[in-house]
Amino acid sequence: MIEFTNVGLRYGHGPEILRDMSFRIEPGSFHFLTGPSGSGKTSLLRLLLLSLKPSRGNVTMFGRDVGVLDQDALLEMRRHIGIVFQEFRLLDHLTTFENVALPLRVLGQPESQYRDNVTELLEWVGLGERMEAHPPLLSGGEKQRAAIARAVIGRPDILLADEPTGNVDPDLSHKLVRLFVELNRMGTTIILATHELPLLDAFHFPRMQLDDGRVVIND
Amino acid sequence: MTDATLAPANQVVKPQVQKRAAPIVPERSVAGRTLVLLIAIMTFLSGVTLGGVVLVQKSAVAWSADVGREVTIQLRPVEGEVMDSNIRTAIALAEATPGVARAYALTIEDSQKLLEPWLGAGLDLSALDIPRLVVVELSDTRDVDLSLLARDIATIKGATLDTHAAWRQQLNTMAGTIVFSGLMVLALIVLATVLAVVFATRGTMASNREIVDVLHFIGASNSFIAGEFQGRFLSLGLRGGMIGGLGAVLFFFAVAGAAGSIVPGEASSQLGFFFGRFSLGIDGILGIAAVVPVIAAMTAITSRLTVRRFLSQTS
Repeated sequence: MIEFTNVGLRYGHGPEILRDMSFRIEPGSFHFLTGPSGSGKTSLLRLLLLSLKPSRGNVTMFGRDVGVLDQDALLEMRRHIGIVFQEFRLLDHLTTFENVALPLRVLGQPESQYRDNVTELLEWVGLGERMEAHPPLLSGGEKQRAAIARAVIGRPDILLADEPTGNVDPDLSHKLVRLFVELNRMGTTIILATHELPLLDAFHFPRMQLDDGRVVIND
Repeated sequence: MTDATLAPANQVVKPQVQKRAAPIVPERSVAGRTLVLLIAIMTFLSGVTLGGVVLVQKSAVAWSADVGREVTIQLRPVEGEVMDSNIRTAIALAEATPGVARAYALTIEDSQKLLEPWLGAGLDLSALDIPRLVVVELSDTRDVDLSLLARDIATIKGATLDTHAAWRQQLNTMAGTIVFSGLMVLALIVLATVLAVVFATRGTMASNREIVDVLHFIGASNSFIAGEFQGRFLSLGLRGGMIGGLGAVLFFFAVAGAAGSIVPGEASSQLGFFFGRFSLGIDGILGIAAVVPVIAAMTAITSRLTVRRFLSQTS
């Protein structure tokens, strides 16, 4: 599903922050992406989200070389990838329902077409009673569950999560990761970036260890 | 995910009220009131300029047509010549010319009235040896043979034919200059509006950077994002345009009303003769009304292009 071959990344004329990355992610797998702060986890996730182009090497996703894709093809491919951020990045002027429905709205779907799906998903993540609330009125855990719901409402094949448990307490962290595990069981490929050791120990999934710009996958 | 893993639909709590989804670009994030005011002012100026151009054009066309429908034979007093006889001859020659409807001499009293604005009322012109005028009304301005009439009239001593061609040319030149100047002013107003909208859009994009980023991450195309901003600016452009357009129409009604009530009747009719009535007419009002959607569309298109440019630079 995802294959990196000798991929390197630098910003402008600066030093390479990711080097010689070669790995393969199989469909339906679950990987933790871990490493110390500043090791390049977010940059790697941005490469996987197709919002950055590698400085060198080849990235293949869904069987296609992303380096030769035009803007429209990249956009279409990006719609198969969901993303969850540590800082949630919900739009404060929209309700929880509207935030979660946003990926379908940008595809031009009318509300009548997605209303039931969004409502069901919000129920599933435990926000059925909060769908008319605006993000500033939600707790940290509620915001993160809304962000996860927004990331999966379009039924992406790959779900990326950048420190999704960074702003919630340990108990809630476990519940959120269990949500990702549940999504993984439904077939979604998950790459979850975290540097929280208790989580890594509690859930036994392969780890992509970033160190000094290089990645090592520990099964 | 499969539907089986989700909660049954009958347990789902659906939103109580089916309301319209909130706009993705929040209204308050755009410097809306300032931009509406600016667009209203620009539309007002465009409307007043356009209305002025229409007024001048209509007056020039009407005046030119009036002047063009008649020519004048001027008969200067010449010693040894009988003025009344020469007048009759001139009338006969004129009426015999193809394309002439009728010819008649202005009486001394008519001439006196024409000179009253310059020489004052109550003047006895019978004591003066002033030229007499024969007005020649044309039935067909295109086919009339004025050179034949000029040759015939030249046989009368002291008679000349005035076709008002120089006046008409000067009038047309003046009207053309005013119309051109008005269109230049209109172009500058449009340019200023475009620049103002570009700056407003850039400001809005900068303050909504987070929204743009999120839309990108969830798979929105640049076209969709530009459309969201365009919709917001179209709405502002329409609102500002309607206020400005209405203001311009009211301005012309107010000026027409003021010109009729403040300026005395006689002076008003003189003003009307020279400058036309301050009445836009239906075509002038339609012209100003057309400015409104043009300004609104221009606002929307400008914002869309600015957003597309911004997105292509940042993505």
